[in-house]
Amino acid sequence: MKKKCSTALGLAAAALPMACALCGQTVSASDAPITLRVCNWEEYMDLGEWEESEAIELENGNVILGEKPLYEDFEDWYLETYGREVHVEYSCFGTNEDLYNQLNMGDTYDLVCPSEYMIMKLIAEDRLVPYSDSFYNKGDENNFYVNNVSPYIYETLAENEINGESWGKYAAGYMWGITGVLYNPEFVTGQEAATWKIFENPKFNRQVTLKDNVRDSYFAALGILKADELTDESFISAADYHEQLADVMNDVSPDTIAEAQSLLNALMDNVYSLETDSGKADMITGKIVANYQWSGDAVYAMDQADEDGFELRFAVPKESTNLWFDGWVMLKSGIDGDADRQHAAEAFVNYVSRTDSAVRNMYYIGYTSAIAGNENDDTIYEYIKACYGADEDAEQTVGYPLGYFFSGNNEDEKYMLITAAGQEGRQLYSQYPSQEVMDRTAIMRYFDADANKAINQMWINVRCFDINDVPVGVWVAILAVLLVVLGVNTRKRWISF
Amino acid sequence: MSKFRFQRAQLCIPYGVFLVCFVLAPLIVIIYYAFTNGEGQFTLENLTGFFTSPNTIGTLFYSFGIAVVTTCVCLMLAYPIAYILARSRFRHKSVILMVFVMPMWINFTLRITALKEILTVIEGNLSFHPFLNTIIGMTYDFLPFMILPIYTTLLKLDNSLLEAASDLGADAVRTFLRVTLPLSVPGIISGIVMVFLPSMTNYVVLDMLYNSTYIMGSLIGAYFSSYDWHNGSMIALILLIIILVFTLFTNRYADEDAGSSRGGVLR
Repeated sequence: MKKKCSTALGLAAAALPMACALCGQTVSASDAPITLRVCNWEEYMDLGEWEESEAIELENGNVILGEKPLYEDFEDWYLETYGREVHVEYSCFGTNEDLYNQLNMGDTYDLVCPSEYMIMKLIAEDRLVPYSDSFYNKGDENNFYVNNVSPYIYETLAENEINGESWGKYAAGYMWGITGVLYNPEFVTGQEAATWKIFENPKFNRQVTLKDNVRDSYFAALGILKADELTDESFISAADYHEQLADVMNDVSPDTIAEAQSLLNALMDNVYSLETDSGKADMITGKIVANYQWSGDAVYAMDQADEDGFELRFAVPKESTNLWFDGWVMLKSGIDGDADRQHAAEAFVNYVSRTDSAVRNMYYIGYTSAIAGNENDDTIYEYIKACYGADEDAEQTVGYPLGYFFSGNNEDEKYMLITAAGQEGRQLYSQYPSQEVMDRTAIMRYFDADANKAINQMWINVRCFDINDVPVGVWVAILAVLLVVLGVNTRKRWISF
Repeated sequence: MSKFRFQRAQLCIPYGVFLVCFVLAPLIVIIYYAFTNGEGQFTLENLTGFFTSPNTIGTLFYSFGIAVVTTCVCLMLAYPIAYILARSRFRHKSVILMVFVMPMWINFTLRITALKEILTVIEGNLSFHPFLNTIIGMTYDFLPFMILPIYTTLLKLDNSLLEAASDLGADAVRTFLRVTLPLSVPGIISGIVMVFLPSMTNYVVLDMLYNSTYIMGSLIGAYFSSYDWHNGSMIALILLIIILVFTLFTNRYADEDAGSSRGGVLR
């Protein structure tokens, strides 16, 4: 009997990969390795292979060095901690829309890391598994996420709801940032850059770039269209300012979309181009003087410029800025009720939320981690201090409060970073914007089906060549060419007769 | 069980499988999506929508414009080069040919990046001439595809035909117009096919040279990324039909010319 059983098990094990592939069913044998399918943005996790010289030595004694890819380190750690083998199948996606399309076409993942609006969409479509209660248990020292996440990010996630469900139940923050304007102070003043209106400023005709995606461009258009309202004193000082601001920056009424279309049409004649990636290089080579940029990429561009011996700065528009973040969510289609798999997925989120993992990722990606550490683990803060703290011989220093991010209290003396003066708008200010900047952030929600269609159509209209714009001369030329071709053909026929 | 007997027709099986999996099946999916709406019902709206919107029809026009101009420029540049190369007495023609074809060995994005910098030096600000830049980029990209087929046909040209023409009193210009040019039409046609069709959809060149206007390829991408499979598929289908018509037309043209010019003498 026993033998029979094991044969059956063996057969089941052999059929397992096929069954998984065919219908997403999972069979779990008690000690078989768990396969965890993780899909992340490209270049969005440290892949190790650092040189010895790259090791980050912090004042608290921690030395951080990435030898192997982070997900392989997780495999070792999981085996060590929980005594169970786990195998991570790590793959990447290019855009949120690509990921969404992949999921719809039947690709199965357990854990993915989309942006906030895609998370909202997935929650609304009931495709996510909520994190278990034990994941939020602060008492477990292996629950790195809940112990290390920044209170600011944690609260933002908890406060935002969709269909009455808080995002915090479904998503664990990974990286975050804001949008703004990267500019070259040689040609652009800070004041000129600190508004979305820079993109319609004729002074910089054909010297500024917008982003080549509808969400970012629409946000900038809203910032320009609603500038008067957004910068009005009474609007800002209202008690429900944040709710009001979120509503304004998520206005998808047909009238607003129509206004945005004509505005963007006009902007297209004032900007250098739309770009996704080339803007950083174009800022450095001097093709453009200002560029719509995400904070993380802005830091990267500033670092590059510093190496080339000149300065770039990052300004946050005074109207409002877009707070975005990417977070880990578990998919129903992948987890499929398998408790072991869910445990491994949650452990994975916890592992990447370790402070040393977060430092490795920040070093590798250049974006800002949602992880802050805690009273007993100041690795992240030490890392920031090592990066941006004032040198001992610095003549003028200023205090830069980061308490809002690290402890939830911006007055916290412990997190008052002493940094060299005159650094406003530089790397530190982009990577960790001040509380004052964070106060005017708005999260851009996902567009429902109708709004999505309308806004995408608006964007296509902006991008497409309008047949009515063809000059009369071109039509005449086409007609002339056609006539000549026709004439030659008839003559040819005639001759051959 | 009968013994397995190999037949020549069985050699087609791998290709047949390939054809069904990667050509036929996707095509059916495209046609299905092109004629349905979000609820899965049959509709012609996607088709009529394409031809009534000034934006989509404008995109078709713009793509066509880029393709036509690129093809003309390529032809005007390629023909003299191919002619000189093929007719020259230089013994190592292949070396010179290689000089023209060599750029093709370098990665295409790398070449366009280099071109971007060169054009910036010449023009200053690239964003003022998006159409011109696109044409330059496309020409740079596709010129070898025009040179090669023309060169090959000219190389095969029978010299005795040219001698006969001059024996019969034709001067050089007349010989070229009446003998060389008609006989090289097949090469020109295949050059046109190889340049015209890809330049209608190669939106990477536009992206890299800062032309933010959509062409057919990028328009399909835009619909797909907004989860609109139906309109995207319709545009893909329309593009396919244009290519089909174009290919049929050029084939007919090539055949006609090949037929009437048999023997090398035209009218």
